[in-house]
Amino acid sequence: MSDTRRPFFRRRKTCPFSGDGAPKIDYKDVKLLQRFVSERGKIMPSRITAVSAKKQRELATAIKRSRNLALLPFIVK
Amino acid sequence: MPLYETVFIARQDISTQQVEDLTEQMSAFITEGDGTVAKVENWGLRNLAYKVKKNRKGHYVLMNIDAPIPAVKEMERNLLLNEDVLRYMTLRVDELEEGDSVMMQNKTTRPPRRDRDEEVTAKETTTEETAEATTPVASEETPVVVAEETPVVAAEGEA
Repeated sequence: MSDTRRPFFRRRKTCPFSGDGAPKIDYKDVKLLQRFVSERGKIMPSRITAVSAKKQRELATAIKRSRNLALLPFIVK
Repeated sequence: MPLYETVFIARQDISTQQVEDLTEQMSAFITEGDGTVAKVENWGLRNLAYKVKKNRKGHYVLMNIDAPIPAVKEMERNLLLNEDVLRYMTLRVDELEEGDSVMMQNKTTRPPRRDRDEEVTAKETTTEETAEATTPVASEETPVVVAEETPVVAAEGEA
């Protein structure tokens, strides 16, 4: 490794849903889903939460299901 | 037979007894159609995240079903017609959940205060993450942070 590496290198965070003991994405688990929703009720982008693309798709459907059942809000004003 | 998971929300004004009757009615449609109801969970009266048909609260009921398609269709039709039901959702699942779902587990573990602590830590981590993501320029401009980060990178490269 030389010294001419990118100065803004940031250690990659790992996906919270892969690996051992990772929580299962479930539309009923409101408390878990709430962590991946902004204060306004929007789904957080995976670049902030570091969720893998596959899991992000799963997460998005889970959040949407939960919204339909009035477990999560569509918007928070 | 395919496996299903149904959740429905009943109006807040009806009593718990009526909710049970309603659940029984719905399971009757399943059993009549040669299906079985593996599990019924009553989540009780919960606050809705938004108003549904002018209701702020609702009785949530979860049913795990193993039934042929016509039976499930018939049950869904009746859920739609029933005026006490605000909303319902049936999902086809690969396998039915054994034991309590997350919702019931949360309820049982509420009395000890561990839940609260977990929630707080969870919130902290998310705010940290967002703070990191939103202010990367500010932190990286300070040389101290860069110096701190480089050993980590070097170690990774060697490994």
